[in-house]
Amino acid sequence: MATKTFDKDTILDLTVNMVPLAIILFFVVAFAVVNPFGFESLASGLQYTLLIAPFVLLAVLTYLSGKAIAGSEKSGTVYPPGQATVPGVGPLHEEEEKAEAALEESADADAEETAE
Amino acid sequence: MEVNGQLALTVLMGVFLIAVAAWLARIEDWRSYTPLAGGGAVGGTKEQYVSEEKPSGLIRWLTTVDHKDIGMLYGVYSLIAFAVGGLMVVAMRIELADPSMTLLSNTFYNSLLTSHGITMLFLFGTPIIAAFSNYFIPLLIGADDMAFPRINAIAFWLLPPGALLIWAGFFPIPDIIPAQTAWTMYTPLSAGVGSGNQMNAGVDLMLLGLHLTGVSATMGAINFIATIFTERNEKVTWANLDIFSWTILTQSGLILFAFPLLGSAILMLLLDRNFGTAFFSVDGGAILWQHLFWFFGHPEVYILVLPPMGIVSLVLPRFAGRRLFGFKFVVYSTLAIGVLSFGVWAHHMFATGIDPRLRASFMAVSLAIAIPSAVKTFNWITTMWNGNIRLTTPMLFCIGFVSNFIIGGVTGVFLASIPIDLILHDTYYVVGHFHYIVMGAIAFAGFAGLYYWFPIYTGRMYQTTLGKWHFWLSMIGTNLTFFVMVLLGYGGMPRRYATYLPQFATMHQLATVGALILLVGQMIFVWNFVQSWLEGPKVEDGDPWDLGEDNLTTAEWTWFERKLQTAVTDGGEEEDAELATDGGETVTDADDE
Ligand code: HEM
Ligand SMILES: [Cu+2]
Repeated sequence: MATKTFDKDTILDLTVNMVPLAIILFFVVAFAVVNPFGFESLASGLQYTLLIAPFVLLAVLTYLSGKAIAGSEKSGTVYPPGQATVPGVGPLHEEEEKAEAALEESADADAEETAE
Repeated sequence: MEVNGQLALTVLMGVFLIAVAAWLARIEDWRSYTPLAGGGAVGGTKEQYVSEEKPSGLIRWLTTVDHKDIGMLYGVYSLIAFAVGGLMVVAMRIELADPSMTLLSNTFYNSLLTSHGITMLFLFGTPIIAAFSNYFIPLLIGADDMAFPRINAIAFWLLPPGALLIWAGFFPIPDIIPAQTAWTMYTPLSAGVGSGNQMNAGVDLMLLGLHLTGVSATMGAINFIATIFTERNEKVTWANLDIFSWTILTQSGLILFAFPLLGSAILMLLLDRNFGTAFFSVDGGAILWQHLFWFFGHPEVYILVLPPMGIVSLVLPRFAGRRLFGFKFVVYSTLAIGVLSFGVWAHHMFATGIDPRLRASFMAVSLAIAIPSAVKTFNWITTMWNGNIRLTTPMLFCIGFVSNFIIGGVTGVFLASIPIDLILHDTYYVVGHFHYIVMGAIAFAGFAGLYYWFPIYTGRMYQTTLGKWHFWLSMIGTNLTFFVMVLLGYGGMPRRYATYLPQFATMHQLATVGALILLVGQMIFVWNFVQSWLEGPKVEDGDPWDLGEDNLTTAEWTWFERKLQTAVTDGGEEEDAELATDGGETVTDADDE
């Protein structure tokens, strides 16, 4: 199931949150390697908690929201955001095709102009 | 004997409580509070809130539970607060035009400083966002109204008494003077220790007022979470939810975790001040306040900035002729900001001497949180890149937002670095940093929204030339005032002083000039806003921005279009039209392709 919801596109969308996760991870490792202030169980414990807690929470929320969004993409029609109930607006992929076609048209027009 | 007496009392009390509960359960139809019982967005709620005629005149506004009316109330309220907070700071800036104490006494300057901050953050910032969200979220997600319309009304009506309490010290009440604690209310000063001024009941009243606004925000947040989760039209799945609703949902989550904590801290402070407790006066008490305050305070800045980001993400693409680039990046990064904003609070406390290991962790997360903000910025820029840009007033404000947010964000990242912060902390650099965001970004997005939706909530059009004057004066004023503050900070000018060394005079004068330019801009805004509302040309077209041409119309505009149409066909007055269209969401459902 999980592999189905989290297909390549969804994973790609989620990379945006992997970057801050990676930064936090980097500092976890960095603080373990470079440790100028020494180890003291309370302070060092808090130091790592302050990194690991946001890391875990962000990972969980990213997973849950990814599941909710990708899941409803699979189970229902995807409209452009905010336009689901707007008359005359079709599903997202149709709209995107339309936009692309329009873009090509104008690109063609541009090319003609420069050719002239 | 005595034990028995107490026992009897307890039992009696218990019986009484059960009786009250039973009575309430009988007279109240609890189902009417749970429109979600039907399990979905549609049905159930329809007759309850909209079938009855609204009373007319003042009574309508005092009793309304319609989300649009409440949105208007929030809007009017926050603009009044913006004027009050703005005039306060104009007085301060004029005082700062020369180095010594001239116009205002130092203590009065401190009072204005405190009230300016609290007014702008709690009485303008949070409510102006609630104005937009109340009016537009139900329309955008296809709901009949908010999930709890009456709670919605209560949440608003807590605000006016909150404002009166916060400003109480300025009213001519004997023996009450305004608080001079700054908006951060650091102990021991705010606990009333020391010189005596802070012992005054004005501080207590301000704390109580702040508490009310916090309760209000929390009630609103719960309402939005419930509404967005349960009241969406069935076509509006998580994949179809618009960006403004996403930011409001995240913001509401932040409010839910942050504001109750502020409330508790405020109550502890009130207890310390009035009932002899010692939460903040024992060893470590002062740092305890800072931890509690900033655990709320940093999320609060994102509470204020996320929905404006949502407004910009919604409005900016409409005038770039295309959809928002990387929509889902913006959604996920919004959620990321939401989580991470709870892990950075002690970057406000780098200079307090907390353990360097803790400091390092807060620095790390502060650097990480800059990424999602930067991602959004790139998305906005990419959306505009090669787009078909129309420089309408709302678009200008959106572009101004992006520009100012970049400067505000970059100065913030520098502050997140411990060694730099140790130098710049408590200087004007910090003031410059956050004003680029609160004025340059948040207020700008607010204006973008006010202009963009002006036709919807007034039925009229504003004067475009004046709108552009407003923008340019605001843009120039903001950048002059706050860039100079960044430089003042580099020069070592400490913040929160009514007087300063003569060497800073030129820069301070420039900042004052900038503030006056801002003032002129806002006066134009007020004139334009009021005059156009009363006399502007009536909007007959349901799509005044021609969004349909690029196929970018969002749900609130279709609602508006329907409202105009029904108003015409009915020949009825506005209110009837609203009633007809409110219940009429089935109209859109019929349009399944
Ligand atoms: C890009 C992310 C941001 C970072 C890394 C950042 C960093 C910082 C830091 C380190 C400080 C403390 C400076 C000091 O007092 O020494 C600070 C202060 C402040 N920031 Fe930011 N900031 C960011 C974004 C924001 C945003 C979005 C807002 C507003 C919505 C904001 C509002 C404030 C405020 C109000 C203060 C001053 C608090 C006070 O002392 O009165 N910041 N920021
Ligand atoms: Cu912060």
